[in-house]
Amino acid sequence: MKKKILSVLVALTVVASLTACSSKKAENSDNNNQKNPSTTTIKVFSNQTDRKTGQGLIEQTLFDNYMKENPNVKIEVEALDDEAYKTKFKAYASGNSLPDLVNAWGQPSFLNEVIDAGILAELNKDDYKDYGFIDGSLEGFSKDGKLYGLPRNTDVMAFYYNKAIFKKNGWEVPKTYADLITLAGKIKAKGLIPCSMDGSDKWPLSIFMNDLVAKLEGDYKTEYRKSIESGDFSNPSYKKAAELLQEAVKAGLFQSGFETSDYGTSLNLFANGQAAMYYMGSWEMSMATNPDVIPEVRDNIGVFMMPVVDGGKGKVTDIAAWNGGGYAVTANSKVKDEAIKLLNYMFKQDNWSKLAWENGVCMSAQDYSAYLTGKETAPQKAFTDIVTGSTSITGVTFNDLGTSEFKSLSEDLSQMLAIGSIKPDEFIKNLEEATK
Amino acid sequence: MQKLYSNKWVILSLVAPGLLTFIFAILAPICLSFYYGLTDFSGLGNATYVGLENYKNLMSDAAFWTALRNSILLAFGFILIQHPLAIITAAILDKLQGKAEGFFRCVYFIPNVISVAIIAYLWKFIYNPNFGLLNNILKIFGYNKEVNWLGSGMAIWSVLVVLIWHGFGWGMLIYYTGIKNIDPVLYEAAAIDGANTRTVFMKITLPLMKPVIQVNVTLAIIAALKQMETVYLLTNGGPGNETQFLANYLYKQAFSSFKYGYGNAISVVFIVICLVITVALNKMFQEKEVK
Amino acid sequence: MEFVGKKRKNQTLGNVFKITCLSFVAIIQIFPLVWLFDFSLASSNELFTNGLLIIPKKIQWGNYVKAFVDGNFLLYLKNSLLINTLAVIIVLIISIMAAFAITRMSWKLSPVVRNILLLGMMIPIHATILPNYQIYNKLGLTDTIWALLIPYVAFSLPQGVFLTCSFMDSIPRELEEAALIDGCNIYRMLAVIITPLMKSSIATVSIMTFLNNWNEFMMASTYLSSNTWKTLPFSVLEFTGEYSSNYAVQFAVMALTALPAVLIYVLLNKHITKGVAAGAVKG
Repeated sequence: MKKKILSVLVALTVVASLTACSSKKAENSDNNNQKNPSTTTIKVFSNQTDRKTGQGLIEQTLFDNYMKENPNVKIEVEALDDEAYKTKFKAYASGNSLPDLVNAWGQPSFLNEVIDAGILAELNKDDYKDYGFIDGSLEGFSKDGKLYGLPRNTDVMAFYYNKAIFKKNGWEVPKTYADLITLAGKIKAKGLIPCSMDGSDKWPLSIFMNDLVAKLEGDYKTEYRKSIESGDFSNPSYKKAAELLQEAVKAGLFQSGFETSDYGTSLNLFANGQAAMYYMGSWEMSMATNPDVIPEVRDNIGVFMMPVVDGGKGKVTDIAAWNGGGYAVTANSKVKDEAIKLLNYMFKQDNWSKLAWENGVCMSAQDYSAYLTGKETAPQKAFTDIVTGSTSITGVTFNDLGTSEFKSLSEDLSQMLAIGSIKPDEFIKNLEEATK
Repeated sequence: MQKLYSNKWVILSLVAPGLLTFIFAILAPICLSFYYGLTDFSGLGNATYVGLENYKNLMSDAAFWTALRNSILLAFGFILIQHPLAIITAAILDKLQGKAEGFFRCVYFIPNVISVAIIAYLWKFIYNPNFGLLNNILKIFGYNKEVNWLGSGMAIWSVLVVLIWHGFGWGMLIYYTGIKNIDPVLYEAAAIDGANTRTVFMKITLPLMKPVIQVNVTLAIIAALKQMETVYLLTNGGPGNETQFLANYLYKQAFSSFKYGYGNAISVVFIVICLVITVALNKMFQEKEVK
Repeated sequence: MEFVGKKRKNQTLGNVFKITCLSFVAIIQIFPLVWLFDFSLASSNELFTNGLLIIPKKIQWGNYVKAFVDGNFLLYLKNSLLINTLAVIIVLIISIMAAFAITRMSWKLSPVVRNILLLGMMIPIHATILPNYQIYNKLGLTDTIWALLIPYVAFSLPQGVFLTCSFMDSIPRELEEAALIDGCNIYRMLAVIITPLMKSSIATVSIMTFLNNWNEFMMASTYLSSNTWKTLPFSVLEFTGEYSSNYAVQFAVMALTALPAVLIYVLLNKHITKGVAAGAVKG
């Protein structure tokens, strides 16, 4: 019997040492490549884990094209989901060993500390004059007049809804927030989830409130910034928004256990027809072309914006939108110039912007009107109309306007508020404390 | 001969690899942790010496105490739920002969060899309030409410269930070996005296298993303190910090909250707690044995 | 006769009761895995049905193909086997060397060194994750096999030394003394005489070390960045992001990555049980 164990161990060792040899060889050939002066390896750290659909596909396509055009460049991608990405990003940063081209968010909560630590390379603003970036979209990646990154998209927060389910039951797109609450009850009575919510990531809840404040206040873009700087959240609209969120939860707008549903789960509830609505950003418009989404949903996706609130100053065209995710190059990268070249290549005319639009993935932060064909998917058309018809946009939402600590505190508070463990008053009070 | 056995260079060469591994992989990082724990290093830029500030903050950090409380809860969960079940199962299994015995032993241990990563994701699906296995089972029994297993208030218990489930086979196996090592003559004597199964279990099996139980209890408490992976993937300490454990908390502080110095201070306290508890448990059980 | 018959009946009744109890526990232990396997063969939206188990409309073997190819299954399995085997071998060698010095040779510091080596058992592995990241990073060890091997060996070593010491105590000294008188040096004697006598200890230490490290992923995910050395848990960790909207494929990758360990266990069931039991009783 012992012999058997031994023989298994021996076998394992043999396998292991064989593979060790072969992998050593592989390493050697890698080394040779690196020794060859004409080959450059650019390491990319991305938050797009799905390389076969959506933004990850576009990213990968561009990398593949770039490698084809520049045979001496090798691009290695490490991809992690948002939360894991941010964690590992900090680990890398603490070891001063970040990959060359990284994903970054054009928001103070992410960028300020990173820029202050001198981690990101400054980009030359003039390079991008004819890239067609829409007005203000580079603001998030700028600090003290210097540019540190490029945004991928214009992100709009909206309700996706299942047109087939709505039609079958004779439901209408809600015109006011009160309608939305009533509708939630009707959908629940049918045994469906009214609106799928990614509550474990918390930020959608913060944005939900921010969206409501836009409907209460109208164009208020600078309001939150001031509040966070002064630590004064006495504007009654903040408290009102908190109350409205709790009202929605009480009415059962979100699925039970929404605070523990992660991104994938909340998406799948909608994508499999369990939920009639889904509150998420415009980057999920690619559901309309995703083969994993069941056809009954895929072909029936509609979009509407957070409806107006009775007595609020805002219109439905005052929307929650911003330029968030994008890319930056690390300052002490050994291949900094090559990485910047790659970055510039990605955002050249007819690259990211065109591919993203033609594949129905998202709206780039650049002017993409040249690529309109009229054959776009329903959500694409809807989002284009929403953006062109908007009367004001919120810009970066409040949870991302402060320090990274404020982000984590305020988002925790949003979740606690949503599950009813704190009252709107306490929410405001704690929010004020979190700014200190 | 004796000369050969006391050759200093031979001894040094034999223990050096072990000592070097210890110094490089355990001692050096602990010293570094101690150093960083005295600074406000954020992970970026420079570190400034702040003395015992981090440790002071830790004492008033509610999440730290929650993490400790959760470890204690988990240890009790192991000792009061997992172990009794494991002992009883082992005792029943011991009475079984032939193939069935091997089959059950094998089945019980299988969850143990499956990676924590798989276990955590699997249980996430089992606990899903909207389409998970557990709520579907409840539905079959006519309970139609969607229970939010990982929600506030419930989460820590749900985590305990996963950990108890995952480690059950291990505990069972150790108790089973312990029972097998009991001299069968004792059972025969008891049978002659006409003792029933329960009396035999209470009067013979349990007392003789005492050393095994002590070892297992020590291991359970240490395992409860060291818990990280399952929680990291299942809840990451949430909702809030309700299911936080020390290891997960220090990781989160260092790499998600830009508090690298603070995270290291937690590391140091964590190590001290583990050392103190292991030594205390060993002392306790040794003294009892002497008596 | 009558009395005996009654006793037999009682016995069978008792047996039925025992088997029922054991089966109940077995179902709890194994059902989640059956459920996992069942839905890994279905299509994604079939998960949203109410029943416990389903008969998939069409068996989707394609899920496993995707899991196998896109989960980098072979590469990660190879890495896992390699890293774990190397860790086992290194732990064995260092343990036997140290245990011999501690239990056989005469020197004053022996108990001190022994306690130092065993100290590692009490130190939580995750407490070293932050500083070790800095150290490995400075030394350029991150994203290499060393970043995993070093901590895996270091944290399995205390147990290894402990078990090997207690096994070595039970080996008679006569053989080695005879060898030494014949002019054999200590290292050779250790390799040729002692090690072959330690088979059961080697098996136990190997199994314990393997089980300790096979499932580890916190260090791996902190220290590694490219695919070169990633281990099997990464198939699952990476896949949930890659296929976030296809649950069935996620189930398939979980079932697939669970398979090697379960297979090894079922095949070596008896030995592993013995090994764990021996380790536990000594421990």
